Amino acid sequence: MDNAALYVLAAAVLFGVGVYGLIVSAHLMRKLFAINIMGNAIFILMVAVAGPIDGAPDPVPQALVLTGIVIAVSATAFALALMVRLYQETGRATLADDNGPGNDD
Amino acid sequence: MLGIVLDLVIIASLIALAIQVVSGASLFRGIIHFIVMGLTLALAWARLGAPDLAMAEAAIGAGVTGALMMVAYRRLVEITPDHNPSRTGSRSRLALPIAVGAGGLVGLLGLGATLSDPEPGLAGLAVLEALQDEALGNPITGVLLLYRGLDTLLEIAVLLTAFLAAVAVTRREDLDYSITTRDPHTPLVGALLAIIVPLTVLVSVHLLKAGSHDPGGAFQAGAVLAACGVLLVLTSRVSASSQSRPLIGLGIVAGLISFSLIGLAAMLRGEPPMALPGMWAVYFIETAMMLSIALTLVLLFAGTESLRRNQHG
Repeated sequence: MDNAALYVLAAAVLFGVGVYGLIVSAHLMRKLFAINIMGNAIFILMVAVAGPIDGAPDPVPQALVLTGIVIAVSATAFALALMVRLYQETGRATLADDNGPGNDD
Repeated sequence: MLGIVLDLVIIASLIALAIQVVSGASLFRGIIHFIVMGLTLALAWARLGAPDLAMAEAAIGAGVTGALMMVAYRRLVEITPDHNPSRTGSRSRLALPIAVGAGGLVGLLGLGATLSDPEPGLAGLAVLEALQDEALGNPITGVLLLYRGLDTLLEIAVLLTAFLAAVAVTRREDLDYSITTRDPHTPLVGALLAIIVPLTVLVSVHLLKAGSHDPGGAFQAGAVLAACGVLLVLTSRVSASSQSRPLIGLGIVAGLISFSLIGLAAMLRGEPPMALPGMWAVYFIETAMMLSIALTLVLLFAGTESLRRNQHG
């Protein structure tokens, strides 16, 4: 596939954007966005890197990514439920920073 | 030439949308951009020769994830009406170098694998050769059910576990009905449902059946069916219930149970576990998985363990 290298570069940039977002965002939902972007970047990488077989795309990485997409939505759903509960309990949707509560010792 | 231009446009949109998602001004806009990014990613899958992934991304990655994020945002707004969180938290000076380093690593890995004249994957070669004698024309469904059945089984198990965990952390008394339409009795809602619900069911059954020889399959079909269920929740045709119902419980575990039993039954016949006895088993398992996936996703959306039907005219 002649566009594989292009998509590999796109995956690299997307992964970088995801990592940056994960570090600088305080809100947990933004962190979830960032994690999902990182996951999508890796999915693109897996499919783009796999070479075609006799002109047909390799089915194995595609099947793995299909599994990955469903796992990602499962994990996201659980994380969102956790975030809502955290907000109900504490009124915050952010995590305590290092010198906040929970790390006083 | 046109193809390259198309690829460049898709990639530029993906990157721009990703930047918007992580740095946009409001959380709500972030969700919208995330959904649009999922749809753009579906285009990218189509360009990479992966129509199954394109469908899954549009239905699950963009659709279901977007709906779940929306409803979670709604619950946050419910608690604090002017939910407008500060944009960024720690202004770490190391964030940019770390991000560039991580992205560079991914790019290096990928370019190394792409430019070094890759051999075709041996597993993929074996699958394509072996599937020529099978009735399954879609190699991806073949991989998912025939060769990596354990992965698919565990995937259903992960979905079930995530659902149980989400139900466990959701506080019951806060089951809000504010996500439903304000007046479910208007004739327009009924007319809309009368058209959309049968169509959605038709599309999902078609996707399921097509999955054995064309792009499609249980996951895509389940996500489309889940969209129909989400619509029913939003129009308050069904609503959250704390009373557990055996039928709903059975529906949630149907995929896992039927896949496990058929997979284990192979051992009684002296075959390796997860060997499927024939095409009927493929259809049976796919149907059960579709129902379980759809039901689980709807329940995750409603944030509840059970649903009840409401009577509307």
